Amino acid sequence: MLLRISHETCYDYAPGVDTAQHMAHLQPPDTPYQSVLSHRIDVAPPCADFDTRLDAFGNHRSYWAMSSFHQSMEVSAHSEVRTHGPQGDLVDAMARVPDAAGNAGADVEALALARRAGQPWEAARDLFCYAAGQATDAVSEFSYASHHAPVDAAFAAYAAPSFSAGRPLAAAACELMERIHRDFVYEALSTEISTPALEVLADRRGVCQDFAHVLLACLRSLGLAARYVSGYMLTEPPPGQPRLTGADASHAWVAVYLPELGGNRGLPHGGWLDLDPTNNRAGLGTPGHDYVRLAVGRDFADVSPLRGVLQGGANHTLQVRVTVAPVDD
Amino acid sequence: MENYKTFSPQPGSARAASAAPDLSTLELLRRAQAAPPGVWDELRGGLELKPPEGDPQFVPLSGPWSEFVQHLGPQGLVGLNPRVAQLERQVRDNGISYNVYADADRPQRPWSLDLLPLMVDALSWQQIESGVLQRMRLLEHIMADTYGPQRLLKTGMLPTALVQGHPGYLHAMQGVAPVGGQHLALAAFDLARGPDGCWWMLSQRTEAPSGLGYLLENRLLISRQFPQAFETMPVQRLADAYRGLVDGLKQRSPAGADAHIALLTPGPYNETYFEHAYLARYLGLTLVQGGDLLVRHQKLYLKTLQGLQRVHGLLKRVDDAWLDPLELRAESSLGVPGLLQVVRAGNVLLANAPGSGFLESSALLGFMPALAKSVLGEELRLPAIPSWWCGERSAMQQVLPRMGDCVIKPSYPAFSSRNSFEPVMGRTLSQRERDEWSGRIFRDGAAHTLQAFLPISHTPVWQADAAAPSVGARPVILRVFALANAQGGWSVLPGGLARLGTREGIASMQRGGSSADVWVLTGRSGAPSGAAAADGQSQSENLGKGPSQSQTQSQTQASGQTQSQNQNQSQTPRAPAPDGTAPLRPWQGMPSLTPTLAAGALRQRIVTSRAAENLFWMGRYTERSENILRLTRLSLDVLGSEDQTCAPLIAWLNQLAVAHGLVVAGVPAAQQSRRVFERSLVAGLWDTQHTTGVGFNLKAVFLAASCVRERLSPEHWSLIEQAQNTLLHPDVTDLYDPVQAQRVLVRTSQLMAALTGAQTDRMTRDDGWRLLSIGRHIERLDFLAHALACAVGAGALQEQAGFDAVLALFDSTISFHAQYQQSRTVSALLELLLTNADNPRALAWVAHTLRARLARMGTLADGGTEALAARVPQLASADLRALCPDGLHTTPALLALLQDCRDAARTTSDSLNTLFFAHSGESSQSVGA
Repeated sequence: MLLRISHETCYDYAPGVDTAQHMAHLQPPDTPYQSVLSHRIDVAPPCADFDTRLDAFGNHRSYWAMSSFHQSMEVSAHSEVRTHGPQGDLVDAMARVPDAAGNAGADVEALALARRAGQPWEAARDLFCYAAGQATDAVSEFSYASHHAPVDAAFAAYAAPSFSAGRPLAAAACELMERIHRDFVYEALSTEISTPALEVLADRRGVCQDFAHVLLACLRSLGLAARYVSGYMLTEPPPGQPRLTGADASHAWVAVYLPELGGNRGLPHGGWLDLDPTNNRAGLGTPGHDYVRLAVGRDFADVSPLRGVLQGGANHTLQVRVTVAPVDD
Repeated sequence: MENYKTFSPQPGSARAASAAPDLSTLELLRRAQAAPPGVWDELRGGLELKPPEGDPQFVPLSGPWSEFVQHLGPQGLVGLNPRVAQLERQVRDNGISYNVYADADRPQRPWSLDLLPLMVDALSWQQIESGVLQRMRLLEHIMADTYGPQRLLKTGMLPTALVQGHPGYLHAMQGVAPVGGQHLALAAFDLARGPDGCWWMLSQRTEAPSGLGYLLENRLLISRQFPQAFETMPVQRLADAYRGLVDGLKQRSPAGADAHIALLTPGPYNETYFEHAYLARYLGLTLVQGGDLLVRHQKLYLKTLQGLQRVHGLLKRVDDAWLDPLELRAESSLGVPGLLQVVRAGNVLLANAPGSGFLESSALLGFMPALAKSVLGEELRLPAIPSWWCGERSAMQQVLPRMGDCVIKPSYPAFSSRNSFEPVMGRTLSQRERDEWSGRIFRDGAAHTLQAFLPISHTPVWQADAAAPSVGARPVILRVFALANAQGGWSVLPGGLARLGTREGIASMQRGGSSADVWVLTGRSGAPSGAAAADGQSQSENLGKGPSQSQTQSQTQASGQTQSQNQNQSQTPRAPAPDGTAPLRPWQGMPSLTPTLAAGALRQRIVTSRAAENLFWMGRYTERSENILRLTRLSLDVLGSEDQTCAPLIAWLNQLAVAHGLVVAGVPAAQQSRRVFERSLVAGLWDTQHTTGVGFNLKAVFLAASCVRERLSPEHWSLIEQAQNTLLHPDVTDLYDPVQAQRVLVRTSQLMAALTGAQTDRMTRDDGWRLLSIGRHIERLDFLAHALACAVGAGALQEQAGFDAVLALFDSTISFHAQYQQSRTVSALLELLLTNADNPRALAWVAHTLRARLARMGTLADGGTEALAARVPQLASADLRALCPDGLHTTPALLALLQDCRDAARTTSDSLNTLFFAHSGESSQSVGA
């Protein structure tokens, strides 16, 4: 699927801003599940010292400075991305696996392995326990508490019913995602990014970032490795209505690490099973062909789309307009 | 390790027969408190050493202590009591404090320093020095690996839980090559001596280690107390190592020898701010706060009066998480937005590179021996206290049954999100508590580290009880420092900070522990090993050179002397100074730094915008304090004398008191109730909440001064502190008693006079000082013009009492009588107070001085201050007859002129704010979308 994404952020400052510096994660990467055909970031008024490099997690991170007085700033990121989707929908794949052995694609086969013959989740947990001289999987850094996804007994308790002893990790994680989808109410503007995940767990309401953080915290509280994924998702307008420009939003979901599919096995997804608790979608490497990945990290703080420090500009208003549209080709 | 254990210091002894110590000294030593059983006794040089039976004259003493007492002079130990008093006075006078003012109303806690130094004999020091340098190399390797190829993590030599899992590891720095080739420029190591006589490492500090300033001050004070012992023993000097640090930082920075290095402090609210200011002044570094710096084009700049100045290196005392609100903690106002981007671009050296905090975890200690073997191919020369990180199941299972002999410590100290807690001694726990801890550790092993309990050595302290002085024994932890040197490696500062605990255990400085100087003794035969000992191997690693002859040599005799190899490298053998190294001198204010260290600072003469603003306000508040003080004293004098019946005078004083906020709002006017007014005036002196009286203004002086403390001499600072304390903690029994208040005010006046002297005569006259002076004159112009206008308005000058009071408020009584004897004419008074060019209290003189100072600032603001100078009225030429043609009956022209003075004062102040300060105080804010 070919998707055209525009992500526009506009700040109006009062009083104006003398100088400012910004960091952005707005450039999607090439992955086995998406090819970036074009990308550009425009900043108005013109900025200085624009510099994009890879961060510690392999994301494109841009830095720039605003070196003279300005009363507004508009950042427009435009990308054209061809998505390839997972090879088969997760639920489909799981249903088909018993009689499709040998015929299905490699990923479906791998998934079946994870689902039926996969190692118990405790094995994944134990993998991240240190033992002297034992080679450590680099993804273990996603198993530790982070600012937005703390480790707490409350998360472990919430997750526990899905993680019965000996259950394969993929199945348990999918069920946990489904439960969050079912138990939590999506309510726009009900939280802020600073709302602690524990509070979201208690209130059972929030937006996609909150659900992602809750799912991350649950998995990490069990000792599992999971990462935060920021990106976009194609939404369908209500039947009979045209697609509205700027009505979409950036999206966030989670990927849990399945050790038996990861490491240096050379699989395209690297062992990451993407889980979107907001939409109850899952898939190896990506939840679906309608998803575009922007960045991955330990939580939102590692990948926030735009962050800045201003000198001046005591008050500001912010407008974010995201449009994800399919391109006919 | 085996090697290390063979070392054991030779106990010495003192005998009455040998010449020096007198009988009472021997008696005091005999009765000196012994270390508890099983604890090394530093005084006696061993474990449970008792005087042998049958020889009452024999006192076992360690070598250094036996030598020390020989040098005490005729009075021996008995003469120490007066020295304690002297020492305490010096600590107070030098304003050495730990918590400067977390709460400005609370008295500061003076630094606590014991009279007797901790002795470290030459053999021990060789072990410590080579062991610390070896650990430094190892730590540097760990930094380079964890932020680079991460081989140690991939091979399981180090657990990721203690690296990426530690909040002190900064992902933002991953893959960033360190500026200058090294991540670590300095580190502190806490050591203690065990019952085996060996020194053990307890912990290491790399993020922002404190102590380098305090230990210098300790040395200065203690070496002065025992000059003979200090010279003769002889004790290793410190100056070279500090100089090496500055040179080493410059050398590692992008600008080399011409680099501008600054010391980044969190500011006066930090508990070790005294040390930051002290160290900056000693090293000749600019003391800066985050708000003084900014990033332009991925370079770091300092905001100064002279414009933006490039900064090439930061010795940082701000914790990493607060360094850059753009990438780290967004709420930080202590850091510099964009600083990490500057680091990434290689444009500034940070000492240390951000992200070393994880190295401080006790949990890492257990991994060090294997790392040393694998990375360096060496055994550790300085063993660490046995530590078990419970994140490793086998270690946990091994150590849990031994909890009673261990200390339980957090693996991620100070991170509440990571189950941090206060360390707990296993032996103090009941069985039930131990079970609870076991459960807790079992649930989150990674957050817990168990360390073997080490009974640490006790060092003698002097207990200065006047009637029965005695020698006590207190447990001691020795903090030593590895510092970057100019040869590209590190040196160990040949001294340290000793922290003394109580008999129960070691208390941190935050909890009121005490400290001691550390005397590192040179070997008898050799020359002092000196501070510039370079670590050969680190140089070959970091400079990418193959091992040269000298470097190989240093490895084979790693624990030995390093001076010769130093000379080999520099190719120019240094002749040792006659006394070993350059002596440390006490300094009197800024210019008396040792020349080498100060050269850079004097050359650059940087006045940061923040310092400029604080100096300006310090000037204004000092002047205001003096004026308010004089006004209050005058008012109390009048109210207590027969002049209290002079209605215009009382009305005038009341008007001024109200205008300056000396009494709480709503107090009946002095004309209505003189006694109530008087009591209110007295109460307002110390009430900083509801009035803006003397106490309030002195507090403001103190706050402004503490932000520029590195520019003030210890005496200057001490005066400010005393002045504030005199008012905020008044020595009175009745807070409303005018008689007692007058006594306090007399004392305060004396202090203020000394303070004024310190400001006019004892400060370097750079642009910063000029702003202080401008601040003073703006304030004086405004205050006096206002007071005179009010006096005219109230008709006070027509009364003799009023006339005299106005003269007194202008501090011009003596001048007036000298010039005009007893003729009290208004024109004479106006001449002296308004147009006289020689009276420093005359408005003409004040205006003239203000104009001159402003004109001198002209080059900084493109002539902006010259325009301001032109706005200040010319008073010397004012025609008094035109101003008040008929005595004081028609005064509009006079009042207009006085109003002009006040307007000029205010305009000047506002304009200076825009010209010089506006960008220094502005806060930044973080946004996210």
